[in-house]
Parts: sequence; C-alpha cells; structure tokens
Amino acid sequence: MGASNSGQRETGQAREGPVGAAVLTPSLPWDLAARSQRERILRAMAQSCAEKSFAGTTIADIVGKASISRATFYKHFANKTECFFAAAEEFLAELGETAGEAGATAGSGTDAVRAGALAVLERLARKPDHASLLLVETPVVAPEVVRRCRSMALDRLEVSLGGREATAEASPEMAFGRANLLIADQLAAGEAAALPKLLPELLYVALLPYVGHDEALDQARRIA
Amino acid sequence: MSERDDERRPVEGPAGDLPKDLHLWKLPRGRHGLPRELVARSQRERLLAAVIRVSAAKGYRASSVADVLGEAGVGRETFYRHFKGKEDCFLTANDALVADLEKRVQRAYQGPGIWPERVRAGLAVVLDWFAASPEIARVMLIEMGTVGPIARVRFRGTFRRFTALLEEGADFAESARDLPNIATLAGGAVFARVYEEVALDNGATLPGQLPQLTFELLLPYLGEEAAARERASAERELAERAGADAAQP
Repeated sequence: MGASNSGQRETGQAREGPVGAAVLTPSLPWDLAARSQRERILRAMAQSCAEKSFAGTTIADIVGKASISRATFYKHFANKTECFFAAAEEFLAELGETAGEAGATAGSGTDAVRAGALAVLERLARKPDHASLLLVETPVVAPEVVRRCRSMALDRLEVSLGGREATAEASPEMAFGRANLLIADQLAAGEAAALPKLLPELLYVALLPYVGHDEALDQARRIA
Repeated sequence: MSERDDERRPVEGPAGDLPKDLHLWKLPRGRHGLPRELVARSQRERLLAAVIRVSAAKGYRASSVADVLGEAGVGRETFYRHFKGKEDCFLTANDALVADLEKRVQRAYQGPGIWPERVRAGLAVVLDWFAASPEIARVMLIEMGTVGPIARVRFRGTFRRFTALLEEGADFAESARDLPNIATLAGGAVFARVYEEVALDNGATLPGQLPQLTFELLLPYLGEEAAARERASAERELAERAGADAAQP
C-alpha cells in the first residue's frame, strides 16, 4: 500500500513536519525506511482515530498498529497531536491534488466541478479511515485545518467555475458545511463505500452559491 | 451495547428540572433540613452542573473527578453512588441538556403556522439556546467531541434527531426527490455556522443571524424566493424583539 504513494513523495522536505530529521539525512536507504515508517505511523493514526476517536487514541495504539517502537514514533513526532496534524494535512493535500487533476482534465465549468467532486468522493471512499480523520475528528482537534480545507475547496471551486464569484444568495462557507455534514453522516453510518453516490447532492451543494437553487438542482438531476 | 443501540437510546434526564442558570444548582454547604431523597437528587444535579462548568472552564480531558467534586461540594463516595466515572457524569449532563433543548425546539416547532414559519420558530430556539450560555454551548458542541467514541455516536444521533424534524418538508418540496439527504444538507448549513461561532466564542451573535440562517435552512426545500420571504419575516421578528427590549426600562 505504501509503495503506491511513494512515487509522489520524492520531494519530501516540505511535507516533513518540524521533526522531519529523517529527510535531512542524505543516505537514501535510511531515508526510504524512515519515510515508510512515517507513512505507517500516519496510517495507524487514521485507523486508531476511526476505531476509538482521537481522544481515545494513545501512542501505544499507534505504535502497535504501525509495528514500530515508541522511540521510532518520537523520532518522527513530538506527540500525538503533532502526528494528527501531519496526518490531516497530508490527506488534505492529497485530496487537493486529486481534485485539481480531475478538474483540470475535465476542462472548466460545471464539468470540472463534477469531476473534482467525484474524484474527492472516490478517494474518501477508498480511504475511509483518513476520511473520518479529516471530516469527523479534525473539526474538534484542529479547527484551523478545517478552515484551511474550506478556503482551499472554495478557491478551487471558483477556479473551476472560471473565476466566478458567488452571485446567488447562499453562502459558500455554509455550502462547505453542508457538504461536510453530508459526507460525515455517511461515514458515521459505516457506508464509506457508497460515498460516490452522493455526487448529485454534493454537486448541488457546491453549485448552490454560484448558480442558485434551480440551476444547481437541475445539474444534480442531470447526473442522478 | 453496540454503537447503534446507543445511538437509538432515548435520552432521559432531569430535563424538566434543569434551571437555565446552572449556578443556581450550587446549594449552600452544611446542615439543612431537607429530606434524604431531595438531598440525593440535588447532589446529583449539583454534580451534573459542576461537570459542565468544570469542562467548560478547563476542558473535559484536562478535568478530573476531583475537580467536579470540588466544584459541586460533594464527596467522592456520593459521586460514585450516582455515576460510574467522569465520562458517565459528563454524558448524563449532556443528555439532560440535549433533552431540554429538544423539548423546547419541539414545542416551538409544533406551534401554529405553516411549515416554514414553524421551522423558523424552532431555529430561533436553537440559536437563543447556544447564545444564552457560552459554557453550555461549549460543552455540548466542542467538549463533547473530545470525550471518545460513545460521545461521538451520541452526538451524531443528536444531530440526526434534530434534522429529522425537517423531514416534514420533504412531503411538499419537489427538490426532496432529487436530494435524498435534504435534511442533512439543510441542517448542515446551520450546524456548521453554530459550531464555528461557539468554537470562536462568538455564540452571542447567533440570535442576530436568525434571518440568514432561516434562509439557508429553508433554501434546499423552497428555493431562493420562498426562503427569502421567511428571511424577511425573521428580520421583522428581530426588529420587533429589539423594539420590545428598547422599550423595557
């Protein structure tokens, strides 16, 4: 699983948090080992959060799931919270890339929004633990990350719509809130695999502040 | 008990007896002539009020049973006669608050008027509630998320019971056929705003946001035009309220 991601991680310096000592070491094999350790730790954090929430997660849980020593954990992260931030930030970046690529391939306008939204739903469906970490736990543990996630999503939405600003009366911030709850509810019901089925509703919500209720509903109907 | 069962568990608590001002719960210490049963009841209530105050001030994770005991002026043995531990006490207090809020919202929602008006009335109760006590708001929304998996499931269940109130709207809103999760889409807008304001300690601004939030809540059901009519009613209601407040000495 880790191997499929490692290709995109050649330039790891920016990704590594303040404790990114691993990347500073030029010796490649060690660097690779450290990187896969780090990925295992982040995955373990997501798994544990999904099972017992961030509050209930201990370093021992993460260390056990990642099959690493406690000392190795602390080589990468100063504490549980720092590890959580890294997991949330990286997954957020991953979603941003996914949406960006899918949107760019689809061109612009509503097609781009739909392609980006579908790509995000599919990625969330494939990584339900990370999805719940970002959508369920992050608002509590790291609200600033949610705000960043929101402005990222809204910026991308506006770019896709050709620099269009919200013209209808609905608030884009609240549209993000609607989308967040829609997805979180599905995750809480244990139905992550069915997330892509939410596409018409997600599209409706995303378009609502830009084209208004009737047009957004029309677009949702078209792909239902 | 599975998580699902827990979610469906009907919420019960001393909701009807819950004073608006939690500080009233703190009885003077020492001898008083109250019957034993009444004392036990008030000890329990004092503990519930204390866990809310302590969690709001220090955060749930950072607070201990000892903090709750100190705040309530109750002994450890008494605490464990009523609750299994800190989490049990906290969740019981939260359940009581939720039940009280639910009852008030239901009452407003089941009042007179057409559906959009009743939705607005219910929403006004929610906004007033979270504005009235920053402590309670913080505990119910923010601290509740730090407790653990049981609290998380219960929190979801609460959100779903509130959005279920909107389901009546699906009977006549044409859009509901294309938006199967319309209640979540509608309620999600309000929830996101309320949560954010409380997290930023801006809960007091919520009642003033009634017009905009009424609009956002009704929008997926009614579209802009009809939702804006209800927004205008909400604006009038706020103006009237402000007028009435100004008239008071």
